[in-house]
Amino acid sequence: MDSNQKRKNESSKKPKVQVEDLHKSFNGKQVLKGVSFEVYSGETLAIIGPSGCGKSTILKLLCGLLQPDKGKVEMATDNIGLVFQGSALLNSLTVRQNLSLALRGHKLKRNEETKKIEEKLNLVGLKEQIDSYPSQLSGGQQKRTSFARAIVYDPEIILYDEPTTGLDPVMSTIIEDYMIELESKLHAASIVVTHQLSTWTRTADRAVLLHDGKIVWQGVPQEAMNSSDPFIKQFAHASREGPMEIG
Amino acid sequence: MQQQPVIKNGIFKPYLIFEAWFGSGVRLCGQTILLLFHTIRYILQGKIDWPEVFRQSNMIGVKSFAVVAITALFTGFAMSLQIARELVLFGADTAIGGVVSLALIREIGPITAGVMVAGRVGSAIAAELTTMMITEQIDALKVMRIDPAQYLVVPRYLAGVFMMPVLSIYAMFIGLFAGILIAQSAANLPMATFLDSVKQTILDRDFHVHFIKSFINATIIIMFSCAIGLSTRGGAEDVGIATTRAIVWTMTMIFVFNYIVTSLTYAPR
Ligand SMILES: Nc1ncnc2c1ncn2[C@@H]1O[C@H](COP(=O)(O)OP(=O)(O)OP(=O)(O)O)[C@@H](O)[C@H]1O
Ligand SMILES: [Mg+2]
Repeated sequence: MDSNQKRKNESSKKPKVQVEDLHKSFNGKQVLKGVSFEVYSGETLAIIGPSGCGKSTILKLLCGLLQPDKGKVEMATDNIGLVFQGSALLNSLTVRQNLSLALRGHKLKRNEETKKIEEKLNLVGLKEQIDSYPSQLSGGQQKRTSFARAIVYDPEIILYDEPTTGLDPVMSTIIEDYMIELESKLHAASIVVTHQLSTWTRTADRAVLLHDGKIVWQGVPQEAMNSSDPFIKQFAHASREGPMEIG
Repeated sequence: MQQQPVIKNGIFKPYLIFEAWFGSGVRLCGQTILLLFHTIRYILQGKIDWPEVFRQSNMIGVKSFAVVAITALFTGFAMSLQIARELVLFGADTAIGGVVSLALIREIGPITAGVMVAGRVGSAIAAELTTMMITEQIDALKVMRIDPAQYLVVPRYLAGVFMMPVLSIYAMFIGLFAGILIAQSAANLPMATFLDSVKQTILDRDFHVHFIKSFINATIIIMFSCAIGLSTRGGAEDVGIATTRAIVWTMTMIFVFNYIVTSLTYAPR
């Protein structure tokens, strides 16, 4: 075994993201009641579950925007990218300035920076809008800009909150393809929160189903459709009958 | 913003209003002081985005010139008229310039400029930062390892500190101009006499205190409105609440600190 291979094996043994017994409540309402999982580099974990079950909350706990009431969050690096559910672009800056701001701490030369920004904007099909302000973009274009911003500095851990929601099917596929490419190219550890079936079945290696503050099912996405587990059966088949009472 | 606990166990408890009100006030003052320390630390480290400071100076300062001019002009008119009327009765009309200018440089200039900037700029900053808070723009900055205090507060603070003395001095000159007009029309006092009296009365110390007051006003306006903006969570209706809160707090603090500085520098010994 050569040393390179060995190092890779060792680093893949230690998870990039490790979460243990996570608890979080807002104003006395318990949202997370003990969630544990880990993600290794080169792997994508999908978090699925009904609206309001705490998926975005988990991502915010992971990148330190919220503090857990109880439990442990261990991130192997602080080079984290987050695609916000609501885009969260800086309104006073153009698309180019938004991406450039994300690269601020990374001390790149000016032409390198420009190259990186243009490359990522090309990828999400927004070359033309580079000097537009967020308010001049459509919702889907904002989402794609937010995606480009989160990945422009090649993060080692990437968190996607609904990266394909509101996009047309072709653009969804482009984004999904790129998520898969990033995973292998950067060897990043990724977590994707999504309601879109194609997104989690295509990009994720594993999925966890969150319900009532706990993980009620986990497994490989391909198994989800044929599983006999009542929770994932209900969720994957979008059925009203089942153990989850939603709303 | 959270619902204030006014009713507990079905009983209306007025002191709970006071407790909630007092508690949130103390918390805000703490947040403001902490934010000020962070901001000053970044400035001392030289982490300053000068183009942004320039842009903010334009927003805070240049765009306030018109409102400050109008208020200073009419305050100057009213005050000069009262002073001229009384001094003429005592036959001391040559002193009109001195008294008017003393009032302007010591109190009216800084207060007028401070209150107008608090209304125009403090509210705008609170609204802008609250909007950034509820649309997760501040969270996005944090994820990108950019401290909002450095990125948002430092340029606004420097712009405020640079522009506030300019606006205060400007308010003072507009007020003097009003005084000259009133002295001429109401007391028949020539401009030269008016200005002579100004020169004899105003000392260097008055300018120093004037600068201290405008520096403090800038600090109050920028720091309170930024702290309010950065601590508000919730939805769109909270933008309005934060704006009102910023105006109330900055204006109140301006009057309080104005008196504190006056009493420390001008109290008769
Ligand atoms: N800052 C907050 N203050 C109070 N309650 C909150 C806050 N953030 C989230 N919540 C509550 O926590 C619960 C989970 O919210 P979260 O945004 O994590 O849901 P989600 O799973 O991402 O839902 P969706 O799929 O609709 O995006 C919700 O009931 C929400 O009302
Ligand atoms: Mg969500």
